[in-house]
Amino acid sequence: MSSTDGPAIVLDAVSKSYGEVRAVDEITISIGRGEFFGLLGPNGAGKTTLIEMIEGLRVPDSGSVTVLGMSPAPRNLKLLPLIGVQTQGSAFFTRLTAREHLVTVAALYGLPPAAAERALELVGLTGSGDVRVTNISGGQRQRLAIASALVHDPQVIFLDEPTAALDPQARRDLGAMLRKLKATGKTIVYTTHHLDEAQGLCDRVAILTGGRVLALDSPRELIASSGIGTRLVVPAGRLTLLEAEELDGVDRVDVVADEGIVLHTTQTARVLAALGDLDDVETRPATLEDVYLELTGAPQA
Amino acid sequence: MSAYAALSRATYKATVRDATTLFFTFAFPLVFLVIFGLIFRGQEVGDTGRGYIDYIAPGVLSWGLASAALFGVSFTLMQWRNDDLLRIIRLSPASLWSVIGSRYVVALAIGVAQSVLFVGVAMLPGFGMRPDATWPLAIPTMLLAVTAFLALGLIVGSRANTAEAVAAIANCIVVPMAFLSGSFYPLELMPGWLQGISKALPLRYVNDGMAYAFTSFGTMTDYLVSCAALLAFGAVFAVIGVRTFRWSNNS
Repeated sequence: MSSTDGPAIVLDAVSKSYGEVRAVDEITISIGRGEFFGLLGPNGAGKTTLIEMIEGLRVPDSGSVTVLGMSPAPRNLKLLPLIGVQTQGSAFFTRLTAREHLVTVAALYGLPPAAAERALELVGLTGSGDVRVTNISGGQRQRLAIASALVHDPQVIFLDEPTAALDPQARRDLGAMLRKLKATGKTIVYTTHHLDEAQGLCDRVAILTGGRVLALDSPRELIASSGIGTRLVVPAGRLTLLEAEELDGVDRVDVVADEGIVLHTTQTARVLAALGDLDDVETRPATLEDVYLELTGAPQA
Repeated sequence: MSAYAALSRATYKATVRDATTLFFTFAFPLVFLVIFGLIFRGQEVGDTGRGYIDYIAPGVLSWGLASAALFGVSFTLMQWRNDDLLRIIRLSPASLWSVIGSRYVVALAIGVAQSVLFVGVAMLPGFGMRPDATWPLAIPTMLLAVTAFLALGLIVGSRANTAEAVAAIANCIVVPMAFLSGSFYPLELMPGWLQGISKALPLRYVNDGMAYAFTSFGTMTDYLVSCAALLAFGAVFAVIGVRTFRWSNNS
C-alpha cells in the first residue's frame, strides 16, 4: 500500500498493558482519509494510550499500528512531518511570543518563518502574534496549540480536548475553526468530553471504556440504533399519568420531579399530534450524549 | 533556519527575558566578589606581592560558571519536559542533539559573557585583580567547565520533575562542592583528607585551571591535568545524561 491511498490510520488488534492494567485491549479501528474521527470515553478509558501509540510515542504490546501506510514506531522520520499533534496544556516555548513560538516550531520541521505566519492566520491569531505565550487568553492558548500542530501542514492531525476549559463563546469560535479545518480534507483524530460538539463535528466516533471499543459509527447511526428515541417533556399538571400512558405513539412514561411528565417515543410526530394544542411541550431528540451515557454507564461485562 | 539554530534562539530569548536568571547568572558571582573583596581588603598573600583578590577571584568565577551551567540546563530540561515541549520536539523530525546542542551553545555563550563581565569588574580599581599573561589559558578551562557542568545538568534535569527539585538537587551538588573544592577558601588551609576529597570533584579542576591561568598558581602540568580531568568528568556525565534522558514524565 502506498502512502497516498488506503486508510489514514489502521489499528489491528492493538493491546497495551501497564503492569496488570490493560489500558488498551485488542482495539481494531480503521480511519479513512479526510475523516473527522472522535475518540470518546471517560478518563482512563485508554484514549491517551491509544493516541500515543498512533503517534509512535508508545509501542503496543501486540497488534499493529499503521499511519499513512507506515509504522509510527520506532521514531519514524518520514512519518513525523505528516502528522501534527496538539497537546493538552501549554506546550509553548518559555517566555516567547506566540509568533516566536511558532517560528521555533516551524524550524523544528526545517520550515521558514512564513510557515509560522500561515499557521497564525489559519487559527485567527495574526493580531496577537506579538503577545507572550504566558499572557494570552484561554481561547487563544488553544488556538496557538492547534497552530503548533498545523505549522507544517500535516495530513493527519491529533487534537486532544481542544475545547476543554473554554467559555461558551470561545468554544463556539473554536468549533467554527475546526469545521474549517475539516473542510480542508485533513484527517483529524479528536478527543473531547463535549459530546454535543463531537456530534456536530465528527464523521464517526468510537466510544471507549476499559480499553475496549463499545461502539463505533457515525453519531447519527449510533443515536438511531440505540433506540433511545425522543423525549417529550410536558409540564406538571397538564396531563395525568394515565392520560399520558394512553397517548398514541408513547412507549414509556416517567414522572420527573421539577420537570413534569416525560414521554418516551420513537414516533415524535404521532405523539405531538395526539397532544394536540398543549403548550410548552419540550421536544428533546436523543443525542450522542444519551447514547454515551447509556453505554458507559452500564456495568462492564 | 535549522532546528538547532531555532532552539538556540528560543533558549537565548528565554534566558535574557528572565530577570531572576540574569541576576543569578551575572550579578550573584559579583556579589560574592564584593563580599570577599571586603573581607580581604588590602591584604597581600605572604610575600608574593599579590592581593587576595588574585586568589579568590578565579575560585568565585569557577563557582559562578559551574552554577550557571548546571542550573541553566537542568531547569530548561525539566521545564521543557513538564510543558510537553520535549513531546513536541520528539514528534518533529528534529534530533535529540539539536535539543542538547542548542542548550550547549547558549551555555557556552553565557559562560563567555559571565567570564568577561566578572574579570572586568574584578580588575576595577576597588578590587584590583591583575591577571597574569597566561590568562588566555582560562578560555579552555571555562569551555571545559561549562561542558562538564552542563552534562551534569542533563542528569539532574532528567531526574528532577519540579523546579523545587531542580533547585534542591543542584544546590546540594554545587554549594558543598564549592567549599570542598576551594572556590571560596584556599584548599591549602584545609585538612589533608579534605584536600583528598576535592580530587574527586569536578569543580576542583576548574579552580586549578583558573588559578593557573590568572595567577600562575601551580604548574603547567597541574593545568593540563585539570583540563584532562574536566574532559573525563564531562564525558562520563554526558554518557549518563544521554542515557537518563526522558522525553516525557510518564515513560
